Amino acid sequence: MSYKKLMFAVLLVFIACTVQAQETLKQFDGIKGRSYHADFYDGKSCDSCHDSKKPLNLPADDACLSCHDLDDLIKATERAKDEMGQNPHNNMHFGKDVPCMECHGEHQPREHMCQGCHSFKYKKFKQ
Amino acid sequence: MKEEKGHQADRRKFLVGMGIAGAAATATLASPALAVAGNRCETKWDQEHEVVIIGSGFAGLAAAIQAKRLGAKSVVIFEKMAVFGGNSAVNGGLFAAPNTALQKKEGVKDSPERMAADQAKAGRGIANEEQLLHVAKRANEALQMTIDAGAEYFPYLQQLGGHSVPRTYQTTVAVGSGITQPLLNECKKLGVRLVNRTKFESLIFDDKGKVVGAKIREGYYFGRGKEGSPVNVRAARGVLIATGGFARNVGLRSAQDPTLTAEVGSTNPPNATGEGLLELFNVGAVPVHMAHIQTGPWASADEDGFGYVSNYSIYNFAHSISVFPKTGRRFMNEIADRKTRADAQLQCRDDNGNPLPPVTITSYEHAKQHPTMKKVLKYGVGWKFDTVEDLAKHHNIPVKALKQQIEEYNGYVKKGVDEQFGKPMAKAKDKYLKAPFVTVRNWPKVHYCQGGALTDVEARVIDSSTWKPIPGLYAAGEVAGGMHGVSRLGSCSIPDCMVMGMTAAENMMKS
Ligand SMILES: Cc1cc2nc3c(=O)[nH]c(=O)nc-3n(C[C@H](O)[C@H](O)[C@H](O)COP(=O)(O)OP(=O)(O)OC[C@H]3O[C@@H](n4cnc5c(N)ncnc54)[C@H](O)[C@@H]3O)c2cc1C
Ligand code: HEC
Ligand code: HEC
Ligand code: HEC
Ligand code: HEC
Repeated sequence: MSYKKLMFAVLLVFIACTVQAQETLKQFDGIKGRSYHADFYDGKSCDSCHDSKKPLNLPADDACLSCHDLDDLIKATERAKDEMGQNPHNNMHFGKDVPCMECHGEHQPREHMCQGCHSFKYKKFKQ
Repeated sequence: MKEEKGHQADRRKFLVGMGIAGAAATATLASPALAVAGNRCETKWDQEHEVVIIGSGFAGLAAAIQAKRLGAKSVVIFEKMAVFGGNSAVNGGLFAAPNTALQKKEGVKDSPERMAADQAKAGRGIANEEQLLHVAKRANEALQMTIDAGAEYFPYLQQLGGHSVPRTYQTTVAVGSGITQPLLNECKKLGVRLVNRTKFESLIFDDKGKVVGAKIREGYYFGRGKEGSPVNVRAARGVLIATGGFARNVGLRSAQDPTLTAEVGSTNPPNATGEGLLELFNVGAVPVHMAHIQTGPWASADEDGFGYVSNYSIYNFAHSISVFPKTGRRFMNEIADRKTRADAQLQCRDDNGNPLPPVTITSYEHAKQHPTMKKVLKYGVGWKFDTVEDLAKHHNIPVKALKQQIEEYNGYVKKGVDEQFGKPMAKAKDKYLKAPFVTVRNWPKVHYCQGGALTDVEARVIDSSTWKPIPGLYAAGEVAGGMHGVSRLGSCSIPDCMVMGMTAAENMMKS
């Protein structure tokens, strides 16, 4: 591949990534939510995360763990040895004990909590 | 590639079918707390514990462990944030103690009296020497508590500014979580109840003026505008306030020291807002040394919190110059005490009076000897330049003046005398400023509150109307004031917090 073509390919991937990051927040019937959770916006599955089908409160801190497996997550976001403590799901300060909601927004964009003090790069993070 | 996605599809179906039992079970069931009739008596209790601790930093964790070891059956820690650990979990992990195993190994002669004397000196005549000595005498025991819980330290000691001998341990992760994580695990092992998202609001007294409980808010979500529901918690043996400092409460800190406006950041996490301290004052505690607020002149204008530049600058200031960008001239002794430097930095402003952070210039050759330089450059909070011209251009500094300043300064390095600001030049010996350079932009940040509520050496809160301890009420850690006086020495907060937390627990268990 020529240098120019390569750069173009890199650029495309880059655009694809940023678009994807924004696109995961979608308007469903009456509420915004994540495209990757689209299955739960069928009008009767709000209780996949919330404690009721007509939620008034925030979900419990361990609500996401009914589907997501923490050990798998830790593996999925593992980092090189000199950055081991930067794994958001098993980090230097708080280990595995940070509630998901502190970093992932569901109905609105959210910056992850490490951003308040660090500028680590997380390529897969969808704000 | 299910593994990489980080979730399990089959488990999901199973659990969805069950209606998310876990979520329902842990949702906060806020029991309606009945109004407290007559304010002081006939409280309707929603919960009861033997020992109630507010705050999950070093002070709260050490107290909980000590209370359990002394036989307490029910110990609870209420923490307002989503995570446990407060300032303690992000601190530098530096822990001073005298007569330790490492001092024995390295042949260092030390004593509790010597450590307390070093601290009293930094306190400039207003430190609480009785408390300093009490903490120094038991610091090694506190250190041992962390080691027993699994904390790991570098196998060598450090000698920090103001300490007359090397006596400082540091966790191998160089972060305070190397201590808070093991202590939290120990708490879990011992059966301490740890409750997050719960905010302490006020103390509850019986009609004899004894603290018998606390009003808390369950389901408090910091930063989301959710205050939670009130719950009355009975404390059979007492309440320990271990809520940390108030560095992030701009109103409170600038009322004490008008230079500490919102323009000055902080190294503390956003939870350090001090409402626990204000409740202590509400019930009659004595405010002490509230205006003695330590700012860190080594912090950076280009990153939040403590960041990377702090440790970088602490190491490099001795052989660097800080210049005011408008003039290209130095404006301070780069290793004067923290307060002197921070005041000088705050004077660096543009024509409209807005902050114009000074630029600290170091030879690459010297900067690279500290591991933080790599991170400073990697994360874009510092810059490397091959020539003075590039440096001056990037930072918008008049290049002629800057060259002149560097030349003058190199003359001081040669002579060993700083004719401009009287900086001690011993540590800059042979360290001439020359290209390539590394720069950072410093701006002070609020770091530590020496002030707080007056306590005695037993960690009991003193009442301003009777000058006696308020029965049933204890305070430990940064929320307590007066121990350190004008300036706290580095690595002396961890032993302070832990020993006073342990002391509070012991007194509760005697009551
Ligand atoms: C970046 C940094 C580096 C440092 N490095 C060192 C070092 O290397 N060595 C050293 O000795 N000292 C160091 N210090 C100082 C030291 O870390 C702190 O003084 C110490 O951690 C305070 O501990 P604490 O237990 O008093 O409070 P914290 O650790 O701050 O814990 C208090 C907890 O109480 C909670 N809380 C507050 N209000 C309420 C409420 N109303 N209801 C419920 N919970 C509440 C807070 O959320 C917090 O979690 C450093 C400080 C910082 C910021
Ligand atoms: C009922 C099951 C379920 C619950 C509950 C659930 N998720 Fe998911 N989540 C999924 C599924 C299935 C996917 C994968 C969708 C896909 O592969 O495209 C997913 C994907 C995600 C992703 C995107 C992963 C990626 O590839 O980038 C994130 C982030 C995420 N979930 C976070 C959360 C958080 C945070 C919560 C709690 C608030 C939560 N999930 C609760 C099932 C669930
Ligand atoms: C994948 C998990 C998930 C699903 C599915 C979900 N929510 Fe949420 N919900 C959250 C999270 C996480 C929050 C916290 C705020 C945020 O991140 O947007 C929240 C917050 C809310 C809030 C705000 C509550 C408060 O007290 O502030 C409402 C209302 C809400 N959700 C309604 C719904 C409705 C209606 C549905 C179904 C159409 C739904 N949610 C589906 C995860 C979910
Ligand atoms: C309130 C501020 C704050 C927050 C929020 C925070 N940290 Fe830190 N972190 C610090 C401080 C201060 C240090 C110590 C820096 C030093 O001394 O060099 C640190 C150090 C670290 C280190 C070791 C140094 C390094 O860069 O490798 C890691 C890893 C780390 N933090 C990861 C995280 C992760 C992951 C998160 C999000 C879960 C996070 N931090 C959130 C303040 C914070
Ligand atoms: C401290 C912040 C933080 C917390 C807490 C957190 N996450 Fe994440 N999460 C991230 C970041 C950052 C990424 C992107 C990581 C990367 O780019 O390597 C991520 C990625 C993910 C992914 C995508 C993984 C992949 O393979 O791409 C999922 C799914 C996810 N998180 C779910 C969760 C769930 C469920 C929880 C609670 C158990 C949780 N997260 C808690 C910050 C966090």
